[in-house]
Amino acid sequence: MNTNRRTLLTGAAALLAAPGLARAQARRLDILSHRVHQAVLTQGAAGDLTEPWRRSNGAELAWTTADIGPMQDRLLREASLPQTDFGVGYLLNSRATPQVGALLEPLDGLLQSDPIARYDDIAPGLRQAMQVGGRTIAIPVRHATNGLFYNAALLEERGITAPPASFEEFLDQCRRVSGRRGEGPPVVGLVMTAALASYPVIFARAFAGDFITEDFRLLPNRDAMVSGIAAIRGLFEANALPRTYATITNEDQVTWLLQGRAAFAILPFARHAQLNRPDQSRFAGRINAIEVPVSTTAPAGTRMATAVEFWSLSLPRNARDKALGWSFIREMSSPEVTLGSARNGNGPVRVSTYAEPAFAASTPLAAVEAAALSRARIPFPAFPEASRAEAIFVEEVQSAVLGRKTPAQAVADTASRVQPLLPT
Amino acid sequence: MRRNAIWAGKLLAVAAILVWSLAPIALILSSSFKPERDIFAFPPRFSFVPTLDHYAALWARWPDFFVALGNSFIVTVLATLIAVAASLCAGYAYSRFRNSWLEASAFGLIVVRLIPPIVCTLPLFPAANALGLQDTHLWLAVLYATFFVSLGTFVMRSFIDQIPRELDEAAAIDGAGRFATLFRIIAPVAAQGMLAVAVFVIVFAWNEFLFAFIFTSTRAKTAPLVLAEIVGNFDGVEWGVLFAAATVQLAPVLIFVWVMQKYLVAGLTAGATKG
Repeated sequence: MNTNRRTLLTGAAALLAAPGLARAQARRLDILSHRVHQAVLTQGAAGDLTEPWRRSNGAELAWTTADIGPMQDRLLREASLPQTDFGVGYLLNSRATPQVGALLEPLDGLLQSDPIARYDDIAPGLRQAMQVGGRTIAIPVRHATNGLFYNAALLEERGITAPPASFEEFLDQCRRVSGRRGEGPPVVGLVMTAALASYPVIFARAFAGDFITEDFRLLPNRDAMVSGIAAIRGLFEANALPRTYATITNEDQVTWLLQGRAAFAILPFARHAQLNRPDQSRFAGRINAIEVPVSTTAPAGTRMATAVEFWSLSLPRNARDKALGWSFIREMSSPEVTLGSARNGNGPVRVSTYAEPAFAASTPLAAVEAAALSRARIPFPAFPEASRAEAIFVEEVQSAVLGRKTPAQAVADTASRVQPLLPT
Repeated sequence: MRRNAIWAGKLLAVAAILVWSLAPIALILSSSFKPERDIFAFPPRFSFVPTLDHYAALWARWPDFFVALGNSFIVTVLATLIAVAASLCAGYAYSRFRNSWLEASAFGLIVVRLIPPIVCTLPLFPAANALGLQDTHLWLAVLYATFFVSLGTFVMRSFIDQIPRELDEAAAIDGAGRFATLFRIIAPVAAQGMLAVAVFVIVFAWNEFLFAFIFTSTRAKTAPLVLAEIVGNFDGVEWGVLFAAATVQLAPVLIFVWVMQKYLVAGLTAGATKG
């Protein structure tokens, strides 16, 4: 075979072009997510929900999964590059700041030209939280709404036959069930992590208060916040909270409930299945949940706006193939896929999903969760200094609960320390 | 009497250190064989019927953990080879030559050690991306090796300092050049030091998280990243599976360090009595 310059050049060009051709032939959508996001779209009772989309678009999905913090960091780093391979990234509500919004494709135009079916069906609190700087930056697809879990067996041992109907009754039941339990381990009324702001926020909302509202009003009802923190402190003083309250982690709450070491815990409704699995729980089938009740002292008509955290699908502004990314987002947030992913274990963001007979029948808490979701709000809005604001608030609450300052002083100090951090 | 008290005190101190060091490993190992309900039972249960369910679940539900273990292995081997080779060459140069450039570069090596790794990641991320090295084994290996070449160099220098220069001179008389002297004469004699450096790099590279999470996605993803995912499962942590994965991740490096511990001690004490 004769090898001349032309042959060499042609061969070299073909070699160089080959990877590009291969890329062009197999469309690929890179997705940055948590593993749970991937699992609820690809595994479970409803099967692989991405298959129809992959078939119709002739595209393959490449999932890059990581733990929450690293995954969010990665998304923002990728979105900061001149161009990224990632066509879609999951965004946590607490990261939806204007700075982050600037790195993501505004979706309003796409929602107009190529709309998502029954978009208004997605819980309004979630949709609003993804409006940053007047633009829609992501589409909510998964929520974790908090409910009040209780161990019916432990309550019955103390003669309590029904879960609390008011916040005062809840505090009273916490006190009544606390203490040693025959030969078993000691029980605390409520297990609650001190590391997150969402719990004192829920306590404040029970009295019609809040930490930071969506329009950035700080402590709109200070008396309510004082009452909420005083309630936590009261539980601690009555030994109805663990003595290790300050070091209890999020996962400890689940473990304590599973082991029967606590009668109540505020957790996402989605934990119901895990808490009742016989291989994990010592009280399988006896752990149930209700909405967190409100105080009898709250103004008439006050309903609990429990804390909700949620995930949304976003499109990095520098993504190579935005059309493909939007096509995926549109399909995965459709009513059909929302229902399917709910059957696979996802927290459905569409209120209508809870009314689907098949889903409602297989989800014991469907009605309660739907009601809670319809009023749920994020613990506080995202803003650049939100992490510091949360750290300050948590620190002040801990100080009050542990008796280092009064609840009123903690609230006053929170106000003075957090106010300068709020966006102007 | 006083001697007995001192002896008892030493024994207690050793026992305390052993408990402190081994208890977490024992907890991980035993929990990986405990039924899920018993892992965090209160009070703790020390007698239980062991189960392999968690290992089976790990295999079934987290198959990518084993792929990631393979990636960890590749990266660790590559990083070790690079770091040991570079440390050997640099250690030889620092041991046998003296000039102001070398002194300045030695200072540079120490400075590299002092830089917090997270600081390097900011400029390295776009650089790796532009070079097409993102999510490759080679890039991780080079990074790991880079951070250990400084320590490795000083360990190797201490070892090579103890090798008589007459060996170099004899090799030179026989016609060996610098590289031949280094690789054929010095390296075999300094093998213990190379092993010591290798142990450091292997332990670091096998467990490293920060660079791996920043610079890998799928192809070069290492085992610590998958472990973090198992811990961070917001649908509920499967503690048994987590402990099984931790045991699998821990075992190779534990066995390796156990086998190589005498070299590790030699590496730590090399040159300590030189005076």
